[in-house]
Amino acid sequence: MNKNYLFLALLMIFLAAGLLFLPERHNYQQIKPQDLMWEAVQTTRYVTVDQVANMIIEGDPTLELVDVRDIDEYEKFSLKNAVNIPFDSLLCPNYQDYLGIEDMNVIFYGNDDIKADQAWMIARRMGYQNLYVMNGGLNSWIDCIIKPQRPEETASLSEFENYEFRKGASIYFTGSKIETSTNKSSVKVVRRKKGAAVAGGC
Amino acid sequence: MGPLIPNEIITGQWDFVIALLIGGAFGFVLEASGFSSSRNIAGVFYGYNFVVLRVFFTGMIVAMVGLLYFSYMGWINIDLVFVLPTYLNSMLLGGFIMGLGFVIGGFCPGTSYTAAAIGKIDGMVFAGSTLIGIFLFAEFFPLFEGFYYANNLGNITIGEMFGLSNEVIAFAFVVIAIVAFYVTWLIEKRVRKNMTEYKFE
Repeated sequence: MNKNYLFLALLMIFLAAGLLFLPERHNYQQIKPQDLMWEAVQTTRYVTVDQVANMIIEGDPTLELVDVRDIDEYEKFSLKNAVNIPFDSLLCPNYQDYLGIEDMNVIFYGNDDIKADQAWMIARRMGYQNLYVMNGGLNSWIDCIIKPQRPEETASLSEFENYEFRKGASIYFTGSKIETSTNKSSVKVVRRKKGAAVAGGC
Repeated sequence: MGPLIPNEIITGQWDFVIALLIGGAFGFVLEASGFSSSRNIAGVFYGYNFVVLRVFFTGMIVAMVGLLYFSYMGWINIDLVFVLPTYLNSMLLGGFIMGLGFVIGGFCPGTSYTAAAIGKIDGMVFAGSTLIGIFLFAEFFPLFEGFYYANNLGNITIGEMFGLSNEVIAFAFVVIAIVAFYVTWLIEKRVRKNMTEYKFE
């Protein structure tokens, strides 16, 4: 038998046997450091509480709210339809199914931005996409949506419109009664006197 | 990094270009291995020439072991590599028909094109007939559609079926291949003893 064949056969067995001794390796698809850095300094990952409230009210099917607080806090209060992935368990395989769903926009929130931002960073490094952070977290949610403050009289029209939306959202989320404005000034209707002579015309 | 198209490193339009290049290389290897001769191919059944078995087994084990090393190095994501679905009925019948075609015609579809390319008339007839066969298959497909899709095991690999890792399967196949090489070498040596047209080293 040709010696070359013998050598090649032994090489092949050696290489194949080598496979058996390779340590197991997880190829987590990580985002490139420069891309992560670029995304981390952008503010595009933040969504405002108004946007979140609007999505919840409209029943946006792509919305997936992720509460990164502890389970106790989650049980006390959480946003509608939010799933709880405690920050410590983010890397846990049981929770991975919640993150990689196609076409879903995952919005992290905590009591404020910090935990949610960290969760965003970790999930982004794991290669997940369409991740956002609710700006200001639940503190901002309470301040803006549940207890909206009336803007000053000199505020712009858009601020008033925003206030009206927040009041509506507050009613939607808390079920509080509709607040009727008490300082309604009566408008005097001035009617034209009847029987006045027709002015002009042919 | 790889596979290149699913990872969007190159666009999907490249697949025809890549297919052309790989097809050219495949045809070259077939011709260089002597597959354009139907004697070599039909020789498997008569036991005097096992070059087909050796070439395909070699291609398979090199690709298997290579892919697993590539995967380990992170050069290819093996989960994204397409696995052909297994339709058990059609595969068994298809394998039988293919084997029959092999021994009767002396070619398999790919090698008939290599033979046609170097001007062999039997190769051209075989290649032309495959086209007729493809046409008839497509026209009469509704008749045997039920059989064709029966026993669908999905995109399953041997490792998944037996609950073994890909590495163990690759090692087993390498061992099987090397044993097969040795056994066929012995068979060839014995059968060719009285054949004048083959020299054996």
